[in-house]
Amino acid sequence: MWVALAGLAAGLAMGFSIPAVIPHAFARYLSIAVLAALDSVFGGLRASLEERFDNAVFVSGFFGNALLAAVLTLIGDRLGVELYYAALFALGYRLFQNLGAIRRYLLAGQSRKTSHS
Amino acid sequence: MRTRDGQLAIALACVVLGLMLAMQFRVQQNIRQTTLPNPRFEEVTQRLRETEQERDRFRAELNDVRGRLAEALSGQGAVEALRKEAAELRLVLGLTAVKGPGLVVTLDDSQTTARPGQGPEVFLIHDDDVLRVVNELRAAGAEAISINDQRLVAMSEIRCAGPTISINNTRTAPPIKIHVLGPPETMEAALKMRGGVIDTLTYWGIQVSIRREAELTVPAYTGSLKFIYGTLKEEVGP
Repeated sequence: MWVALAGLAAGLAMGFSIPAVIPHAFARYLSIAVLAALDSVFGGLRASLEERFDNAVFVSGFFGNALLAAVLTLIGDRLGVELYYAALFALGYRLFQNLGAIRRYLLAGQSRKTSHS
Repeated sequence: MRTRDGQLAIALACVVLGLMLAMQFRVQQNIRQTTLPNPRFEEVTQRLRETEQERDRFRAELNDVRGRLAEALSGQGAVEALRKEAAELRLVLGLTAVKGPGLVVTLDDSQTTARPGQGPEVFLIHDDDVLRVVNELRAAGAEAISINDQRLVAMSEIRCAGPTISINNTRTAPPIKIHVLGPPETMEAALKMRGGVIDTLTYWGIQVSIRREAELTVPAYTGSLKFIYGTLKEEVGP
């Protein structure tokens, strides 16, 4: 958990220190990709807590989902269909599910620890 | 060992995620800064207000100068000035024939025969076809227009009159010959604009021809110009 937070802090620091800013037109795609990445990270955390983490699944999911979400948004813009929402709802739903599982797991671990001590 | 692999991968993913988050945050910040510059907006509003005040001041000044000009004209050389102005007014009103560069536009009924179920009236020239052509010409800077030798003046009508078209209360029938004085290139381009008047007319088979003339004459208005209902609101200068 702490490693994840440290990584996040490092990434934020890097992002704020890079002088270039991506064009405004890409902001929409980046935003949905961020959501996909967020979902993947929580999914990975959940899997590692449940001890069924698979490196290949995680890495491919992280980049694949982010890319797919961005591409879906792009296609949606071209076709005039708001495919953006499809990615938004699917990822949002999964994000909350993953968070819920992590919370439950941590709470269960906490109570087990306290009962043991 | 397996979980440590996971930790490493998650940490790296978090680095990328943080990078993306920071980027997105900065882009949004950037958009907000560049799209809604509030102080600039107020500055422009302020300048608009100033310009409007200036315009009103100039308008008042113009009125003042006009008044003084009228006074000056009532003295020496007034007759000459009046005569000159009257001639100009007659030219603008259409009471004199004018010559200059322009176009001759000819419209004629369609040669296509109507298919069964199709009314024949769509292939005829209507008053509104002529009106649209005239409107386009005026928009393109036409100064004087005559249709089949009827000079268009401020009170002229172009109206359907059974199988004919009534202009200046005189009936005329196709072919419609429009003599128009003005910038030839601009007017021709305006008529031939894609999706414009000519495009629409030729779709129905109406025959349109445009000829440029370096020198053409638009005849004078021959009817009477009488104001029965209107009178001058206030006494003005010449």
